[in-house]
Amino acid sequence: MTRKQQLTAALMTILTGIGIFVFFAFRYRYHLHFQEQYQLFEWTFAYFADVARVPGGLADWLGRCLTQFFYHAPVGAVLLALLFCGVQLSVWAACRRRSLFTYVLSFIPALLLVLFFCDENALAGAIVALALSLGVAAMCQRVASRKGRRVLDLVLLPVLYMACGPLCILFAIAVVCHEVAEGEGKPWLFAIGMLVVAAACVLVAWRLFPYPFNRLIQGLHYHRFHNILPGLLYAAAAAAVLVVMVSCLKVRKSLNGIVVPGALFVVLAAAGTFATLRVADPVKEEWMHYDFMVRMQMWNRIMQQADRRNPDNPKTVSCLNLALAKTGRLVDSQFTYFQNGPEGLIPGFEGDYTNPVSTGEIFWHLGMVNTAQRYAFEAQESIPDFQKSARFYQRLVETNLVNGDTLVAMKYLKVLESTTFYRTWARETAALVADGTLFEKRPELARIREFRLKQHDFFFSDTEMDSMLGVLQVEHPENKMALDYLLSWCLLRKDLTRFAECLRMVDTSPLPQTYQEALLLLWVFTHDDFNGLPDTIAPVNVQRINRFMADANAGKKEAAMKASYGNTYWFYFIFRYLNQQP
Amino acid sequence: MKRFLCFVTILLTLAACGPRERNATQVQGVPGIWPDYVGVTVPATIAPLDFTLPDADALDVRLTAPDGSSLRSSGKSATCFSEKSWKSLLKHSVGDALTVTVSGLFGGAWRRYEPFQIFVSGDEIDYGLTYRLIEPGYQIYSNMGIYERELGSFRQRALLENTRFAGCVNCHASFRGDPSAFTVHIRGAHGATLLGRDGEVKAYDTKTDSTLGFCVYPYWHPSGKFIAYSTCSTRQSFHAQPDKLIEVFDLDSDVQIYDVVRNQIITAPQIKQHGIWETFPVFSADGRTLWFTAAEEVEIPRGLPDSHYNLYKVSFDPETGTIGKDVELVLDAADFKGSICFPRPSYDGKYLMFTLCDYGTFPIWHHEADLWLLDLATGETRRMDEVNSSDTDSYHNWSANSRWFVFSSRRGDGLFTRLYIAHFDENGVAGKPFLLPQRDPRNYDEDLFRSYNVPEFTTGPVPFNSIQAQQAINSPDRIPFGFRWSD
Repeated sequence: MTRKQQLTAALMTILTGIGIFVFFAFRYRYHLHFQEQYQLFEWTFAYFADVARVPGGLADWLGRCLTQFFYHAPVGAVLLALLFCGVQLSVWAACRRRSLFTYVLSFIPALLLVLFFCDENALAGAIVALALSLGVAAMCQRVASRKGRRVLDLVLLPVLYMACGPLCILFAIAVVCHEVAEGEGKPWLFAIGMLVVAAACVLVAWRLFPYPFNRLIQGLHYHRFHNILPGLLYAAAAAAVLVVMVSCLKVRKSLNGIVVPGALFVVLAAAGTFATLRVADPVKEEWMHYDFMVRMQMWNRIMQQADRRNPDNPKTVSCLNLALAKTGRLVDSQFTYFQNGPEGLIPGFEGDYTNPVSTGEIFWHLGMVNTAQRYAFEAQESIPDFQKSARFYQRLVETNLVNGDTLVAMKYLKVLESTTFYRTWARETAALVADGTLFEKRPELARIREFRLKQHDFFFSDTEMDSMLGVLQVEHPENKMALDYLLSWCLLRKDLTRFAECLRMVDTSPLPQTYQEALLLLWVFTHDDFNGLPDTIAPVNVQRINRFMADANAGKKEAAMKASYGNTYWFYFIFRYLNQQP
Repeated sequence: MKRFLCFVTILLTLAACGPRERNATQVQGVPGIWPDYVGVTVPATIAPLDFTLPDADALDVRLTAPDGSSLRSSGKSATCFSEKSWKSLLKHSVGDALTVTVSGLFGGAWRRYEPFQIFVSGDEIDYGLTYRLIEPGYQIYSNMGIYERELGSFRQRALLENTRFAGCVNCHASFRGDPSAFTVHIRGAHGATLLGRDGEVKAYDTKTDSTLGFCVYPYWHPSGKFIAYSTCSTRQSFHAQPDKLIEVFDLDSDVQIYDVVRNQIITAPQIKQHGIWETFPVFSADGRTLWFTAAEEVEIPRGLPDSHYNLYKVSFDPETGTIGKDVELVLDAADFKGSICFPRPSYDGKYLMFTLCDYGTFPIWHHEADLWLLDLATGETRRMDEVNSSDTDSYHNWSANSRWFVFSSRRGDGLFTRLYIAHFDENGVAGKPFLLPQRDPRNYDEDLFRSYNVPEFTTGPVPFNSIQAQQAINSPDRIPFGFRWSD
């Protein structure tokens, strides 16, 4: 390439890197936090040996090493930009004829990999494996001696299978293409040799490693779910192969200028941007954002976010309700936001690795320590690729410390001390445990230990949430969050009788607006008129419910009712959670 | 080059030399080593009992056999006895004891503790153990499997892991430690009971129209022709109080016997009673008695604390596969104010060991669970205080010669179950148990986040073809169990 073409090529890579950085740093940053929280990267030889001992293990280890930096999303975005640019450069380096045209084509696999990585279960190890395979192929092509080069290729293939997994096939194809293009010394014989070695790698691995044959072919750690075939990854690999093959052909002169490759780059950039924005999942990103804010206890930011866009997914609504409760605003403000039933207050248990995460946070803040521990443990055990999670280990440390199981907590702390971003916390916690000042220095742990049940025991039951919350409140009347959740649970279930019963247990004067609305509704259902209405209910609310009923009876549409009464419990009662009518 | 090699040799030699005790001060008492191997009884073929001295900056340990031969190991964190020298030393100490002298470096000063002894029994122990490793969790499981550990070394080998299929590797049992015959149950989408005999693995569907469900808690008949199973409807609940986390219980359970030759489940009304939950069946050493536990049905979960399992026995005729008519109460749980679990008769027919917990059938989550012993000749029972701890002591199994037993205990940290092995002499007295040795005992704390589960002795390496097992599990084909009522 000419100097001008080299500069153009560099500019294309830089622009692509910037684009990738902007996407992951601003548009998709919580996906990075999500990725980070489902692994526990330790700087120990035992961890390295454990990860690297299976086919693809080295790439997996490198991928996990990169992923740990997603703890700080901007750093993660920089690393991803570098990684994807590395993929592009490795594809280009593996090309036989390096023109600006092939340089532009080498962006295609990287762009496909960006799409692949929009899937929150795509693992960085796959991208590393692809880059590594092609990078090594590029280096091997530079060995001048044909015989030495071929021997090296044949030796490196099993090594790369262990390091990168089945994506090492890219290496095999790239070096075979190179030999075929060279056209000397029976390249087809060499190709057959590579094929035999590749097949032998898988067959030997099948005997040695405890995995089914199909998993050894599709890759052990390219995707979190082993029963999902990562189509975009394979498409990226296929594209890389095609680009390398095309680079072996002679290209027409007109394609080697700047205009055609430049135009092609613009088209690719536009298509890539469009496809990335199409593939990116904003609903998941929103939930991950809420979950991150819950994890970091950014209660006010949650409410600011909800004010910008009212969440409507049970998982995000439950995060919002937790934030409202933590800031003491659940009673007054809950129904100013969209509510989707009790599932939006405490989502039911689902045995997967995502759902129990933020729900476990709710139980933790309520003081239901055993349940918080179970949710953290179950979420961790559900991680499909059998990894552990630093976030869940932190929670297990906390629950065990609160429960007095210090030895178990110390065991988890020792692991966290081997990590990059949890080491300081782990060491500080261990030191506080050692000098006996843990609960003094960590008031949240002290509060939760105080709220933990000591007199009553019960078996956890999804269907008896009100009873469990009631016991929490009875044993610790100062646990205001338990009371708010108890009453909110009854309201969201539209169980007004139970709500009134629970309300009688506590002194809540002056009666909050939502509670007045609920009691008025119950009064309407059980009385013919408002005579004898308790004076805790403001007359203005009586007038308002009359208007509400009149409008409802007049058949006003939901939108109109929402405009007038959208922030009332009555609106929720009539128009939301419709599978539960009184 | 020569200089370089000399330099490397000197470096390696220096690296191999651990810190040596100098000018030590003698202190009172034995050292607080971990694992606690002070005064334990071990077989002559056991792997080195490496240990640490907590809080010490270094330790220097000398082992001395009765004939004066000795072995030394020192290090900054843990001992690392040479396997060859250790074995030789044990060989010279059979029937006697090794004397262990430990010195620890604390703040730059060495302290030498009073020596203690490790007793070396002449009773042979089996080749190894098989066990399941699983996180001590709730309902969902991550990576787990069945493993084999050679007792004479630190070698552990995976027999079957759930990386090979989607499911849970569950109850497994070999035929009295014979590695060539085993049964293992797989739960999940690929649920099956695997039966392995002489290198062949077959997958069975053990649920029949006439029985409650799948076959669990297996126990082989001494003839190898029958396997006693429980069939249970098991559930879990989760406590709110911190001292207990989980309760595992059955909503119903029956006992049944599988006729390996005829491929038939055999049961009888007397071990499948309505309103009675029968479980944990085991055969006596002569194969003519079936022991099991049973409790009256209670309302779950409210009545769980009132669920007390008694020990029963019924005769069994191995020639005809007939279960006797009369069920006899052997131990009344009320006498112990508890619940009897996991009865395991010794293979010499003299004793029966069981776990006693306050209530229910799942003692591993009960901190009060302890091992008890029933003398089958006298009918006397006693709590095995010589092996029990203040935390959970539970699932146990005998070696082939009934001179050793392995059991699971949570005495370490209250959660992660570890394996302890104890000697059992001809008078029915157990020696102090020792923790299954590890090359670096700190692994228990820092690397092992899975619990040992359902330990069993094996008399040799298990010839398990895991690929064949994987194919059998992943295949939809299952051989159905037949069924017949006992005459």
